Amino acid sequence: MYPKEIERFLLRVQKPGRYTGGELNSIVKDKNSVDIRYAFCFPDTYEIGMSHLGMKILYSLVNAREDAWCERVFAPWTDMEEVMRENNIPLYGLESGDAIKDFDILGFTLQYELSYTNVLNMLDLAQLPVRAKDRTALTPIVIAGGACVCNAEPIADFVDITLPGDGEEVTNELIDLLKEYKAKGATKQEFLAAAAQIKGVYVPSLYEVEYNEDNTVKSVIPTCGAPEKVEKRNVADLDSMFSPSEFVVPFLEVVHDRTTVEIFRGCIRGCRFCQAGFLNRPLRRKSPETVEAQCKAICESTGYDEISLCSLSTSDYKGLEKLITNMLPWTIEQKINIALPSLRADNFPKELMEQLNAVRRSGLTFAPEAGTQRLRDVINKNITEEEVLTTAAQAFSGGWTAVKLYFMIGLPTETEEDIEGIANLAQAVVDEYYKNPDKPKGKGVNVSISVASLVPKPFTPFQWEPQDKPDVLIEKQNYLVSCVKTKKVTVSKHVPHTSFLEGVFARGDRRLSDVIETAWRKGCKFDGWAEHLKPDMWEESFKENGIDPYFYTARRREYDEILPWDHMDYGVTKKFLVNENVKAHKGETTASCREKCAGCGANRLNGGVCDETSKTVV
Amino acid sequence: MKPVRLWFKKDGLAVYISHLDMNRCMTRAVRRADIPLWYTEGFNPHPYMTFLMPLPLGQTGMREPLDIRIEGEMTFGEIRKRLNSVMPEGIEIVDVAKPEHKPNEIAAAEYEIDVWFDDAEKADDFSSGAKIIIDSGILNAEKRSKKGIKTVNLCELIRSFEISADENKVFIKTVLAAGNTVNLNAELLLNALLSSLTAEETDRNIVRTKLLREDLSIFE
Repeated sequence: MYPKEIERFLLRVQKPGRYTGGELNSIVKDKNSVDIRYAFCFPDTYEIGMSHLGMKILYSLVNAREDAWCERVFAPWTDMEEVMRENNIPLYGLESGDAIKDFDILGFTLQYELSYTNVLNMLDLAQLPVRAKDRTALTPIVIAGGACVCNAEPIADFVDITLPGDGEEVTNELIDLLKEYKAKGATKQEFLAAAAQIKGVYVPSLYEVEYNEDNTVKSVIPTCGAPEKVEKRNVADLDSMFSPSEFVVPFLEVVHDRTTVEIFRGCIRGCRFCQAGFLNRPLRRKSPETVEAQCKAICESTGYDEISLCSLSTSDYKGLEKLITNMLPWTIEQKINIALPSLRADNFPKELMEQLNAVRRSGLTFAPEAGTQRLRDVINKNITEEEVLTTAAQAFSGGWTAVKLYFMIGLPTETEEDIEGIANLAQAVVDEYYKNPDKPKGKGVNVSISVASLVPKPFTPFQWEPQDKPDVLIEKQNYLVSCVKTKKVTVSKHVPHTSFLEGVFARGDRRLSDVIETAWRKGCKFDGWAEHLKPDMWEESFKENGIDPYFYTARRREYDEILPWDHMDYGVTKKFLVNENVKAHKGETTASCREKCAGCGANRLNGGVCDETSKTVV
Repeated sequence: MKPVRLWFKKDGLAVYISHLDMNRCMTRAVRRADIPLWYTEGFNPHPYMTFLMPLPLGQTGMREPLDIRIEGEMTFGEIRKRLNSVMPEGIEIVDVAKPEHKPNEIAAAEYEIDVWFDDAEKADDFSSGAKIIIDSGILNAEKRSKKGIKTVNLCELIRSFEISADENKVFIKTVLAAGNTVNLNAELLLNALLSSLTAEETDRNIVRTKLLREDLSIFE
């Protein structure tokens, strides 16, 4: 429920439903009966935040506790921000309408580097100081999780705690600890020092960073007994792990508005550009029985008519056929559509595909990622042109007329030939369509290729690689467009400046906190939205702080350089990543974990077990 | 397959749910309630569901009709009970019945409008000013339609109009043309009155109380 004073403004802003709360399954508790009030803050719009599975999990998890109440907070769009600032209305939780500055924990999820300015903006809208050191009281404690916290250094000055890895267990432990320290009237410093002892908790302020003259990191020294290496948190058993049986059902149309259930964490593929594939190792699998029961429960409590079985590579799930076969009878009866994102159509039976499409037909996408086999070997994307064409032909004979292909440019060792290869592959898919004798009459084919730019990320084999500058990427994009000779292929490109900033912050260090604050004070926010990104202001902000952004992106790092995130431990060893980098430059592939364990080292965090290599898996 | 007319109340938080969002919201509610819905038989089957008179964003509706079709047997009482147990805050099924009239028989709607002003004097001025305008029979305003923006005389779409002031609040009870061919949004009328009298309100509340047929009998 929104605060009373905002009511008369609600009809003056776009989509007031973003700010009212009151959705089905949203949880309202008596604030006097809980010890901990938790604001789950998503640093982007309602529509994006409400599509995020992590938020749904933690929302239900915290609210399952009698002693805590979790509410949702999203970044208000600019029209609403104006109303709030003009009328001095502090950022509030959607469930109670109470100002979140009075809450105990503000938990941000960082999925994307370009949401950092929104974190500052939300803290400011909450009427709190943006810098952690200026928030001297014990509460609210500002914590952050999500993929970006594998390198939290650029936002180290703003957050009190980050939670690398799986959040399910550590969130509860942190709440317990805060409850205890709050009750005994401890100081923030005392609490932070104690929190740093929990596995999977990183307290940036307890680490002193020194730099060399060439601006690289010289040392990172823990203080107050904080661990030298912060190991990410790993939940070993996904079947007994907390999983929600209810989702808050939004009124507004949001990006993904459906039942979403994870089927496994981690990935067996080892694509060298993919951060998620390395951060989430080792592979841990949910049993088909658990998955099905969770899907059923959520559909019943929400009325959703679509289920998404989610993972990094759905068709690699052992037991997928069995799971789908079990689910089809009740989903077809209830007119529920099953979506399988990240499906490799090459190893999925055609009959099952047809049954899946009995309710509603979904789109067909492939991610070859690179235009030539040579470059696909470099990035270890083990998909061949033949596989793409065979599957496309199959799809065309099944009646599809549109295919989407995902590629990246700016990959290590890339040449003009590789870029031309993207256009050629798209053309080959078009040709495949016209080879089909039963193609629908009078209907053309549409192959759309989406071209992203590589942003080398921490904890991937490409973490040492230079990133193409925006002007080079624009040249490459233009070259690709010039190689496309048919109107049946449409090219959509990413904004190179977006990838550039993303790259700076992905591999940045603590000195970037000043830049982020400067840029935010100049008015930068929603940087991930092309219409809001202000490259000039960012350029000024780097200059004013004496920082060369290309130091973070354009430089090849040496293997022995201390990287700003080296004191974080995600399981995968540096030795393994170096070896993968060397192999990439030689164009050598690494087999999937299913074929042969590559010895990445991540099973160390899971009691030595990886579900992919363990023999107990059915 | 049996046609059923649901009558719902939409107020409180629910007034911020747009018409488009209402559609999705009700589809899911009916699914959660496990009502044996009839689905369309097209390529992309969806439950048959028609809102007869979309309610503009921000307005309260006391008795709004929604037509569905069911397969198999379920009593109206059971449908109502089931739906109310799964409805989000602000939406309540007040009645379930057999459709008596055809949707195109809706010709008018009755509204109750509260408008607040800074003080009693401003309320009084607005009330008497509005009365004069309506009595004059001319209140031109730009109205958006499918064919674009055109100027219309709103008075031609007003079937009845009563206005009174009480301290700083003005109360309007009015019957306006409603339906697919001619329709007057109460908000448009209120805004037109406010702007011709250069008055500024502090708050407003628009409630659609009932839908009526051409002879002003109640649409059922």
